[in-house]
Amino acid sequence: MLRAVFAIGVAALLLVLAQVSLSDRAQAQQLRWRADYFPNVALTDHNGRTVRFYDHMIRGKVVAINFVYTTCTDLCPLDTAQLRRVHEALGDRVGRDIFFYSISVDSENDTPVTLRRFMRLFDVGPGWTFLTGSRADVELLQRRLGIRPPDPRNLREHDTRFIMGNERTGQWIRRSSYEDPQLLANILAENLNNHAASPSNRRQSYTQVTPAADNSRGAYLFRTRCSSCHTIGGGDRLGPDLRGVADARPHAWLNRWLREPDRMIAERDPTALALMRRYRNVPMPNLGLTESDANHIIDYMRRQDVARTQAASAPGGR
Amino acid sequence: MRRYRLSFAVALAAAATLAFGAEKASAKDFDIPTGAPSSPLFGARAFTQPMLIFEEFGTQPVPTTDCANCAPLPPVPSCNASPDGAALDAFLRQPLWPLPTREANATRTNYWAPSIGGCVRPLSTSAIEGRPPGEWFAHQRWGEFPPEVYFQTAQAGARVNRGLRDAWQRHGYSMGEFRRNGGLYHRGGTTNGLEVRFHPNFPVQQQNSVWTFDGTMPPKLLMARYGEAVLFRHFNALPINFAANNGFGAHTLTTHLHNGHMPAESDGFAGAFFFPGQFYDYRWPMILAGYDSINTNAGDRWAGTPDGAGGITRIRGDWRETQSTLWFHDHMIDYTAQNVYKGNAAMMNIYSAIDRGREGLRCNYANPNNPNLCFPSGTALDWGNRDYDVNLLIADKAWDSNGQLFFNIFNLDGFLGDRVMVNWTWMPYLDVRARRYRFRILNGSVSRNFKIAVVTQAGQRVPFHMIANDGNILEHAVAFPNSESQDLPEQAIAERYDIIIDFSQFAPGTKIYLVNLLEHEDGRGPNRLIPLADVMANRYAGDPAVGKFMEFRVAAYGGVDRSMDPADYVEGGQTMVPRPSIPANVLATARRRDFKFGRTNNTDETPWTIRTDDGQGYGADLHRVDAAPTVGQWEIWTLHSSDGWHHPAHIHFEEGRILTRDGAPPPAWERGARKDVYRIGRGTADSSNEVEVLIRFREFLGTYVEHCHNTQHEDHAMLLRWDSRAPGQVVAVPTPIPTWEGVYYEPTWDIPTAVRP
Repeated sequence: MLRAVFAIGVAALLLVLAQVSLSDRAQAQQLRWRADYFPNVALTDHNGRTVRFYDHMIRGKVVAINFVYTTCTDLCPLDTAQLRRVHEALGDRVGRDIFFYSISVDSENDTPVTLRRFMRLFDVGPGWTFLTGSRADVELLQRRLGIRPPDPRNLREHDTRFIMGNERTGQWIRRSSYEDPQLLANILAENLNNHAASPSNRRQSYTQVTPAADNSRGAYLFRTRCSSCHTIGGGDRLGPDLRGVADARPHAWLNRWLREPDRMIAERDPTALALMRRYRNVPMPNLGLTESDANHIIDYMRRQDVARTQAASAPGGR
Repeated sequence: MRRYRLSFAVALAAAATLAFGAEKASAKDFDIPTGAPSSPLFGARAFTQPMLIFEEFGTQPVPTTDCANCAPLPPVPSCNASPDGAALDAFLRQPLWPLPTREANATRTNYWAPSIGGCVRPLSTSAIEGRPPGEWFAHQRWGEFPPEVYFQTAQAGARVNRGLRDAWQRHGYSMGEFRRNGGLYHRGGTTNGLEVRFHPNFPVQQQNSVWTFDGTMPPKLLMARYGEAVLFRHFNALPINFAANNGFGAHTLTTHLHNGHMPAESDGFAGAFFFPGQFYDYRWPMILAGYDSINTNAGDRWAGTPDGAGGITRIRGDWRETQSTLWFHDHMIDYTAQNVYKGNAAMMNIYSAIDRGREGLRCNYANPNNPNLCFPSGTALDWGNRDYDVNLLIADKAWDSNGQLFFNIFNLDGFLGDRVMVNWTWMPYLDVRARRYRFRILNGSVSRNFKIAVVTQAGQRVPFHMIANDGNILEHAVAFPNSESQDLPEQAIAERYDIIIDFSQFAPGTKIYLVNLLEHEDGRGPNRLIPLADVMANRYAGDPAVGKFMEFRVAAYGGVDRSMDPADYVEGGQTMVPRPSIPANVLATARRRDFKFGRTNNTDETPWTIRTDDGQGYGADLHRVDAAPTVGQWEIWTLHSSDGWHHPAHIHFEEGRILTRDGAPPPAWERGARKDVYRIGRGTADSSNEVEVLIRFREFLGTYVEHCHNTQHEDHAMLLRWDSRAPGQVVAVPTPIPTWEGVYYEPTWDIPTAVRP
């Protein structure tokens, strides 16, 4: 017994010594969160190809991962719209050195066909892959990424966090999808890359900093809940330009539409259906807003309209 | 050669595991350590090694002239390592250089700019100091509170201690219990040769497994005096490559003094972090709160600081806000849990007229007009005796099969270790004299609360007294066991309890134990209390961190105990520190703010948000200010747990008084105290869902944070920014964005309720 132990000890020692000469190079990559940690499960991407999570999706890459399902009418559209803005902020780096993955938690219903349809709805850009897989595999993946798998009977309650990581360095950061897209883009482009890219924002003197123009609740809600799909006077995005909408629609209708668009669509409200048809059939999501929230947003939209009118009529106004 | 020895130790340790067989596995239902197999013990048995005693940083006078022949921070041998240990010691032994400046020093480049150029990218500009530039993070009231003493250290990878600080220990390894002949804590009179190793049987920690101050053990202690401003220069000597971290920890740092009365630029704002090759100057004024409004002529005999010669130098401010036991630790946005766990935590004892660490010198018990409360400490030094005044940093840890420190970065509920360590030693013993001792107990865990019992070998509870809560000396000592709690109250992460145990009631040779009774199943919060009898009779199996974790071995005492008897200071007896009465209209007129910690957005599964004033629940975005109290204004902040999970909520900068817990008065140990950590949510009887706190911010302005001190929650991202503002201030402090090149600023915005007229 003792001899066996000694032999193992010596073997272990030799193994360690053999690695010493390589240690500087080996340490450049962390070793803890690698192939033996991440499950190399097979997923099917939106083109129907089989890809391995570790080997093909994350190994050596900076990635952004979230979990969705395509029949989701509330959170996922907003998440996808938010992630789309992060994608936009990163420009052509997505697909080159940063990769986006949206993985379905609805293995029974989501197929490459439904994923492609969902992607078309949201006009998803390059470098962003949608995937589906067996429930067991996706759940294992979620657990390993620190996400609690959803109750399959209540997918609505699934964890919507963005997981951002650099597999090579072993840095993993999770943030809410409601955060400022530029902040999420900075994490992906700079923090996860040892700040190796030159700063994307110009260094600004503190004397040039001005307070945010509108810090009202309506402005905040619009920025975090609406602006991923809408502008006010800036043209259509995924959804319509909301210029003038605050006055064009009856207040009660608009308030309810902001709060429970899913129910209005289900009730086949004619205006709602017309809007949906006109805008790529992306349903307006139910964001769980309260009546007061909706009023704040409507007030904000109206203030924007008034400000634009005043700016246009002022001398020298643009 | 050193590497060879280290490898050999690892191999031997691996062999030892095989020889001694697998250790007792954790029970099935407990995911502890979180997401990992149980930590091997390499054949080590409990209570076979002495506990490490904190090593003092040692402060020195700030030089008045710039050093002419000082060398720069030593270079790094590779992108993945800290500098050579001997070179780092030689550097840290030099005087403070360059001299500190009011605004961040941007006149020189990052010490490691050439290496960073090779490892990351060439830098067009860089700065030697990582503090954000310009006026916004300039030292406030610099002319009024110039630093008088300083200490400097480098955050660095684990290495052998070479005795750098031996000569800076106040006890000099020559006095009291630190003396050569017969002193309990002399220990060879040096820390030279001490490695970072949690038990002699365990492997030495590799350089990138543990990152700590100097890179060495023992853990470090700052001993500071009121009225003597301290400059702390913190060098970042961590690897330039992020990945060289053995699986966890960020190499960018910001250091928070929890909960000093410190200006914002020296508070360790989560977004004001600095990079490898830089330093950050923290200037701690060491003034009493109320400096601008109370006792402004410094006439109060109780407001004072030891003068080094048996007397007291009187100082301004409110002596009833005297602080004693603090700690400082990393506060890096997204990485606080990992960095603190990895070793970026030190303790700080502040000495004052009432708490000078000197017993027997004009004691309050002898004459009620004497300020000195004479807590157990010692008599050799004028202040800061540590013979019978011992800091205990208690934290749960885990390590991998090679014995290297392990952290699961993927668990967001919270991370639990399976091994409780005291002062970075696993299951230590401490020799103590048969007399009174003061223990300053800090819970330095990531997600674990403790409920500590003091018991005899036979399982009998040992009576003791609590004298301070979160570093604030209580109005009256609280005796335990009592009707509200048999044992020390539940102690959440970052809470400090100072207690006095009298070992004179025990014969030499007696063994006394600290026992943890609070069970966790996961990192969301404590689960239940385990009866002491079950633990002592080995009838409990579950959470491996429940049970004995420290042993005291009582030795004979030949001296005379001149410390106060806390029994004289319990309610009905003498007073330690009276509580200021709350002015009549304050409760009615204070500005109220409301913070809900937890799962607050009905469309967002992200649990870790804080919802301010029933507005939106937010994750951390340091551009956003959720509260902007005006200096001097009374405020009442209500903290709730809205998800039922446990959250130790922490407000920076000022302590508050707990007015109510779930509408009822708080227990005895919180009634007479000021606090900086407020337990809310799921817990034991010592917790509650809601806490109402009376608080006000004084003397300093700028940007601070409030957050959950379950640091895994804090990092994901249960943290908000609040700013202390001058009356009428309309421009918010802009948001610093640190990069390798330097720090630039982005705009800040207030939520609508942040500013109240």
